[in-house]
Amino acid sequence: MKADKKNYGMVIDTRVCVGCSACVYACKSENSVPEGYCRDWVVQETNGTFPRLSMENRSERCQHCSKAPCVTYCPTGASHYSKDGTVQINRSRCTGCKACLAACPYDARYVHPEGYVDKCSLCEHRLEQGLETACVSVCPTTSLNLVDFNNPEEYAVTMMNGKEVYRQKEHAGTNPSLYWISARNKPGV
Amino acid sequence: MTETTSEIISTKMNPNVIPHLHIWEWHIPLYLFLGGLAGGLLVITAAMIVIKRHFGIGPRDEGEGCPCLAVRIGSALAPILLGVGMLFLFLDLAHKLYVWAFYTTVQPTSPMSAGSWILIVFFPMAVLQALLVNKQLVRKLDIGIVNKLIDWTEDHLTLVALLNAHIGIGIGIYTGILLSFFYARPLWSSSILGMLFLVSGISSAAALLLLFAPDKEKPIYSRIDVNALWIEMIVLGLFVLGGITGPANNSAAMMHLIAGDYQMAGISYMWWFWGGFVVLGLLLPMFLEFLEAVGVHIRFPQVAPVLVLMGGLILRFLIVFAGQTYHTFM
Repeated sequence: MKADKKNYGMVIDTRVCVGCSACVYACKSENSVPEGYCRDWVVQETNGTFPRLSMENRSERCQHCSKAPCVTYCPTGASHYSKDGTVQINRSRCTGCKACLAACPYDARYVHPEGYVDKCSLCEHRLEQGLETACVSVCPTTSLNLVDFNNPEEYAVTMMNGKEVYRQKEHAGTNPSLYWISARNKPGV
Repeated sequence: MTETTSEIISTKMNPNVIPHLHIWEWHIPLYLFLGGLAGGLLVITAAMIVIKRHFGIGPRDEGEGCPCLAVRIGSALAPILLGVGMLFLFLDLAHKLYVWAFYTTVQPTSPMSAGSWILIVFFPMAVLQALLVNKQLVRKLDIGIVNKLIDWTEDHLTLVALLNAHIGIGIGIYTGILLSFFYARPLWSSSILGMLFLVSGISSAAALLLLFAPDKEKPIYSRIDVNALWIEMIVLGLFVLGGITGPANNSAAMMHLIAGDYQMAGISYMWWFWGGFVVLGLLLPMFLEFLEAVGVHIRFPQVAPVLVLMGGLILRFLIVFAGQTYHTFM
């Protein structure tokens, strides 16, 4: 059954992420992110005991939580849930009080030099036109995948099947919309 | 077994969150202090008015039914101090031209929304009380509309004060709740922070009144102050214990505050907390006022109230800063 209502999120396959930062630069150019700021970023996490170390590269951004503390705390309704399941900021209602920055357990937001608070919009303007986000469209290893969780494509479901998949700080109760296929799924780890 | 290493390298560079949350500097702690002080002044002066009018307890009224001097000064200071605090709050906004957005909506889950509406209610009510208790003085200015306002309301001073006592408590609690709903910041994530800031606001307000009150009224405010400090000690103890005995997030955040070597103005949090706040801001003034109460007069009676006020200020700065320098909920 096809659901009419969208619920966008991402499935991020960290097994194939090489940490090239193409997503970061695509985002900067698509969304005119000011210099010295970023809406998405690349994290390289190394765990283990030498010489048995494991490494995970991943591209991080706003988690578009369905129970988003930033929306709960926003005093003016500037931060809000969009009908496509993402979290958006209405700049013409943002006072720059920065409560949402303190509320976000993922530190995904920043204050734009023009005064309003800014973050990943999951390229809402591109989604409306049926396009993928800038970061997804440029990812050279298909680590980044845009998924409508109300109507997921077959490959997105099979991609996660039988793998160790996690969401970040799930115990915070935010119900984030980004799913990560752990690098621990790689053979030999 | 050898230690497992974990290393995280991130390309995130946003200055507001890297290397730690960095959104509120001196404006917000100062606003929280002034807000708490104004709330405390309103609570004390309103209570003094109600108790005098209703039970006949307290210093003698002056002139045509005006309360004693300290109550009159305190009532006038409350809206002034809050006004200054709100100015700092406004200065902290990054998108100042959109400040109106607070007042075109009510967001029931946002304490900041509730707070911005409480401030709107506080202001006219606090100003009304300030006018009523100083009516002799105000009438001399002979402003038509103000005179009318006093004529309409002067018989209802007790009611105005009763309302203001509640609004004052609301403001005091709000200054703490503002921070305590951020569960992503483990140090702030404690509901007792609202009570701590309320009691600290009341003790600071009593200290301020103690500075201004004429000698014959001083013992009352000294007694209010020493009791508020005593309650503040207990609430602070609960805040600290609640943090230490809490889950990993909260206990480590509390240790970051009470035993942290992170520095504020060149002095570590630990020294600010124990030395600056607990000893100089709570214990020493409590001891000095105890001496005063048992009849040992100190040469400089201003020392105790000034220490209490400084303690209140240090508490706000410490909590706001230490809450930001500790990492998010993990």
